[in-house]
Amino acid sequence: MARSEIMLQRTKRYKKMVLFPLIASIMLILGPALILQLYLSFNYYSIYSEGWWASEWYALDIFKDVMTDERFHVAIIRSLGFALASTIGCFVIGFGLALLMYKNFRLQWFYYIIFIIPMLTVPIVIAYTAEMILYQKGPLNGILSSIVGRDMLIMWITNPDIALFTVVLMEIWNWAPFSFIIMMAGLASLPKEPVEAAQILGASRIKIFFEIQLPLLRPIIVLALVLRFLEAMAEFPKTWAIFQGGPGTSTETIPVLIYLNTWYYFDWSKAAAMSYIVMLMMVVIILTAINILQKENKRIAQVQAN
Amino acid sequence: MTKTQKQNLDNVVRYTLLTIWLLIVLFPLFWIVATSFKPDKDWLAWPPVYWSEEPTMSNYNNVWGGAMEHTETQYAQSIQKPFTALKNSTIISFISTFLSVSFGAFIAYGVSRYKVLSETRMFQLLMLRMVPPIVLVGPLSLYYTTIGLIDSLTGLIAIYFITTLPYAVWMTKSFIDEVPIELEQAAEIMGANRWTIITEVVFPVIRSGLLATFLFILILTWSEYLVAFILSKTDAVTLPVELAKYEGSSEGRVYGRQAALSVGITIPLIIVGITIRKHLARGFSFGMIRK
Repeated sequence: MARSEIMLQRTKRYKKMVLFPLIASIMLILGPALILQLYLSFNYYSIYSEGWWASEWYALDIFKDVMTDERFHVAIIRSLGFALASTIGCFVIGFGLALLMYKNFRLQWFYYIIFIIPMLTVPIVIAYTAEMILYQKGPLNGILSSIVGRDMLIMWITNPDIALFTVVLMEIWNWAPFSFIIMMAGLASLPKEPVEAAQILGASRIKIFFEIQLPLLRPIIVLALVLRFLEAMAEFPKTWAIFQGGPGTSTETIPVLIYLNTWYYFDWSKAAAMSYIVMLMMVVIILTAINILQKENKRIAQVQAN
Repeated sequence: MTKTQKQNLDNVVRYTLLTIWLLIVLFPLFWIVATSFKPDKDWLAWPPVYWSEEPTMSNYNNVWGGAMEHTETQYAQSIQKPFTALKNSTIISFISTFLSVSFGAFIAYGVSRYKVLSETRMFQLLMLRMVPPIVLVGPLSLYYTTIGLIDSLTGLIAIYFITTLPYAVWMTKSFIDEVPIELEQAAEIMGANRWTIITEVVFPVIRSGLLATFLFILILTWSEYLVAFILSKTDAVTLPVELAKYEGSSEGRVYGRQAALSVGITIPLIIVGITIRKHLARGFSFGMIRK
């Protein structure tokens, strides 16, 4: 037998060996849940039903109900806004810190270790700690008051106009380290020659940054933005533990609204229909993101090869 | 301005900005630790008490000493079992992470050497991680209730295994890609079969990478909240879920106790994370960043 044939056979055997368990475990764990979700979106189920199998056929009524629900529309926009704002916030701070730090200096290791701690902290712990700190008569307002010289009693948690912004701040505190470590790695892998050449030619630092470093970093910037945005769309613990969607509905993002519908209003079918729509929406977003990442990944590999 | 002056100015700006962010990072951490040593009256005092004048261990005793009688008032709507939660968290995160990394490494080897998953399929695998869990936990809890896996460690291990698999595959693949193929060819000439080559040549070469992957996924699983919150009731409660139970029926949150528990949950993660700090970028970027 030719060597290539042996390889082909081996490939096939290995493929079977790993793919079968992979597909089987996805089907076993997630398959039934996906089917149930679809089933619940067309059959009305509440806790007063005998069981999910005894629910009533509603055809498309549940979907119609959800599609015309303004609260749902607002939640989608709020989630997108939240994800966008926190992604940009994380990126600006993370990249800024990386720019200040990527060249070796004496205390680099120390700052690096401290700066990664927030992303290692359990999100639910961050939520409860933030609640203590942001209390109207809490330490943050205490510090602000002593800086300004008069009582600053910002209602971080109870003012509906500020609440979502507060969640964005928590998200930034939590995840700026993510952008930071990615951009540190990116900056460290940049080739030095172009920058040195430009310096010799007398280019200003700003010009070097915008015309040499930034274009080279583009794939890594895209990576940092895309991954953070997707994670922010799913953010739940920090929003939920402090706000439960409130005050009013001001922090009702998609995950919170679905949670409320399922476990507070016991409207399982409505939640299932919402989830279905959100899932389709996310799949479209993710496929776009994956498409972008797949293209950029090749460039990242090129940059890293330098 | 001379060059040295300019450099000095640069340094002043750099250290000032870095130190401002340093304080922003450290302050909440300081506050958890400080609160964990505060008696009840200092939790929400105004003006804020930064460090209690009468530091106390009572919060720690209350949480970890299993001493409900220490409380003067009746806290807690539900029974708190921090040790059960600690045990559950440990079992769940270690087993699911172990399964995920070991299975993930075999898939990754296949992808790296035989392309058993095309590049597109590899990216589609990321879906398991990227679709927000909230869209599926509702139906999943019904399914688990029906087959009797609700509130069980097995149920949580299964779901964590599947949702961390993309990280495991991608991260271990990035390490396996770096193993020179000549090593394997040499082993093959000496008569080693596939299994021996994988377990006795490839895995030992990347063992520090495997360990980093394991610890990275352990961090993710240990801190997960939503799925554990929904799929557990009493028996399978994990530490993050347990933390939410420290809430009084009349006096609101029991901050001191929460802080004492938080310190216990967080310190191991910070230590583990700092240990594998060189691999964090690789982990969070699914191995796309390799430095």
